[in-house]
This record gives sequence, C-alpha cells and structure tokens, in this order.
Amino acid sequence: MSDHDDGAGWDDDPELRARLRAADPASSLAPADPDRVTRLLEDIMDTHTETDLPIETRQTGTRGRSPLTWLVAAAAIVLIAGVGLFGLLNHGFDDDVPTAGGSQTVTKLRAPGHEAYQARCMVPTAETLSRQTLAFDGTVKEIAGGVVTLAPRHFYAGSPTDLVTVEAPDADLRALIQAVKFDDGGRYLVSATDGEVSICGLSAPYSQQLAALYARAFAAQR
Amino acid sequence: MDAHTRRDRFEQIALSLIEPLRRFLARRTDPDTADDVLSETLLVCWRRLDELPAEPLPWAYGVARNCLANAERGARRQHRVAQKMAAVDRPAEAHAGPGEGDDRLAEAMASLRPEDTELLHLWAWEQLTPGEIAAVLDITPNAASIRLHRAREKLRTELRKVEQPAGHEGSRERREP
Repeated sequence: MSDHDDGAGWDDDPELRARLRAADPASSLAPADPDRVTRLLEDIMDTHTETDLPIETRQTGTRGRSPLTWLVAAAAIVLIAGVGLFGLLNHGFDDDVPTAGGSQTVTKLRAPGHEAYQARCMVPTAETLSRQTLAFDGTVKEIAGGVVTLAPRHFYAGSPTDLVTVEAPDADLRALIQAVKFDDGGRYLVSATDGEVSICGLSAPYSQQLAALYARAFAAQR
Repeated sequence: MDAHTRRDRFEQIALSLIEPLRRFLARRTDPDTADDVLSETLLVCWRRLDELPAEPLPWAYGVARNCLANAERGARRQHRVAQKMAAVDRPAEAHAGPGEGDDRLAEAMASLRPEDTELLHLWAWEQLTPGEIAAVLDITPNAASIRLHRAREKLRTELRKVEQPAGHEGSRERREP
C-alpha cells in the first residue's frame, strides 16, 4: 500500500500514526522462508482445484499432505458432524422440502456456508434474481432455536407454503442474520437456490426498489 | 484461463500478498494460528482467483479477518490465547518504541472498543486508506472515513486522560513521581 490519495484526512495526524506504528508488533517479523512459501503455494494449488471441495483425489493419496490439508479435513468432519447432530436434534428424520408441519406447509431453507459471506458481491440484477428457484415476500415471525421462521405473503417463484424456515448451524445462521439483517417482525424479500438462501443483496429487508426488481425478475414466470 | 496460466497468476498474486498478510496476522494472533489462517486465506484466493479485485490486498485482509474470527472460535483458542498473552507480557524484542509512551498508548488503546482499535490498526499498521479499510471491513468508504476520524478522536481523548489524569493527585499508578 503506497498510494493514499483516496483518503481525505488520511494522514491528518501523522504523529499519532507514527506513535501507533512504533508499537507495531510485526515490525520485527522476519520474512518467510522462501522454500516454505513455495511448498505452501504448491500444496494449495495441487491439493485444491478450482471447484473441488477440499478433498484429495485418489491419485494424490496421502503423500505430502500439508498441515492445511489436515486442518481443512478436520474442519470438514466437524462441520459434517455438526450439521448431522443439528439435523438429528432439530429435524429428526424429516428432511423433505417443503414439508407439512401439522396443518401448515413449510419450506425449509439453509443458510449458505461461512465462505459465502467473504465473497465479493455484484449489484443484484433482475437477471441474477430470475435464476433463483424460490423467491418470496414475507415477515419474520420468530428467530429462535437456530431457526428463522418467516410467514410469506407472496411467492414470486417456487411452490407456495404457509411458512418458510431457515435453519443452519449457529455460526452460519448468525452470519446470515447479519447479512440479510433478519429481525423479528421485519418484512423481507428472500430468494433461494437449491434450498440455500441467496445473499449479496438478493435477500434483504423489504424496499420498494427491491420489490420492483423482484417483480421484474419473475414477471415472466408468473 | 488454462491451468498453467492460472497457477502462474496465483503465484504472482500470492507472493505479493504473503508478507503483508503475515504481518497482518502476526499483529493479531499467535504464530500457529497465523500460519493456519494464512493458508486458509491463500486457499480462498486460489479458489476465487477469477473474482479477485484489481487491488487484492484489502480484499485478502478481509478474508484473513474472517478466517481469523472463525479460527478463534475454535477449540484451540483458549490454549493459544494463553500462550499469546504470555508472549505479550514479555518485553518486545525489537522496536519497543518509547517505553513509557507505549504503555500509555497501550492503556489508551485498551479503553477503546475493539472496532475502534481495529480501525486504528488498519490505518496505522497496515497503512490503509479509508477506501481500503472499507474494502477490508465491507463498509462504504464514507463510513470508513467517518469511523476512522471518530476512532482517532477517541484515542486522542483517552491519551489525554492517561497522560494528564484529572484531579486526584497521586491516584494513578502510572503518574510520574
């Protein structure tokens, strides 16, 4: 970072900045060993292809697995176990989407995994929206027990049900609640693909602007 | 982009990111977690190579920040934080700064909200502009600028309190004799 021309007032207190910099705990950090860096990059590129999950191929076997590989594998196991346990505790064996919950029909959705929240977002367009398999306008009835429950008032796409629930492991659900700004009693426009809520502005608090975009996106489908 | 070009491009970008990311992480966590999070961050860069912005560093800081937050929620956290605290308690090996001034700065920083200290660190340590800070924190440049301005104000106020304790003569341990 050498150019700082886009920050008005960026350096209006150079003395304070210098004082903070003097306390920089990384100022004495030695550069990384070039061999280690090369190995790390090779590991990342060899072990993980562009679209693969972090699982090694049969060909690569277990040779030369880096600590990263084991870390990712352990994380995957914890995630799978967590999702499984969550499923057992919360859903029993009833995982159909949509399902009949007593007299009410329910569409069950998931929150995206944590990586989704690090993605760069494009401005939502009618075209992106129109590719969503489910889209509705609804109000949050409850956020409790790891589930956000919405009462839909209108479905733009997908099979209408009485309720829509979003369930996810705690961390993912918290991230989703933050990303979409879900709040008790709030009205939202929510879209999803393959049972997973779409973020990046595609699901958001109700606004006339976004409602117009939803209407335009799904006009041909109604 | 064919596989070979993709690898070349990743290597070129990763090599420009590694040292700033290592420093970013060294400032915020223990060496083991820093290594893990560096790997995870580069892995995200590799996977999202086609989506990397023209200036990838602030974006990569943002990814590292999220990975670090996840890592710190992990089971190893308590043990490593204990180690980190033990390390922090030892005198710094280099660039210790102006001793007394550092203690006061540390005291003033400790009284700020974590969000404010992070903004000040991104500004002073990573030397980011409000626009770049905005990319790291996923907020607007305008919000970054305003929050940075306020954080600096708060730090100056806290520093004044620490350096010139009001009233109560001799009531503060750090006061000069």
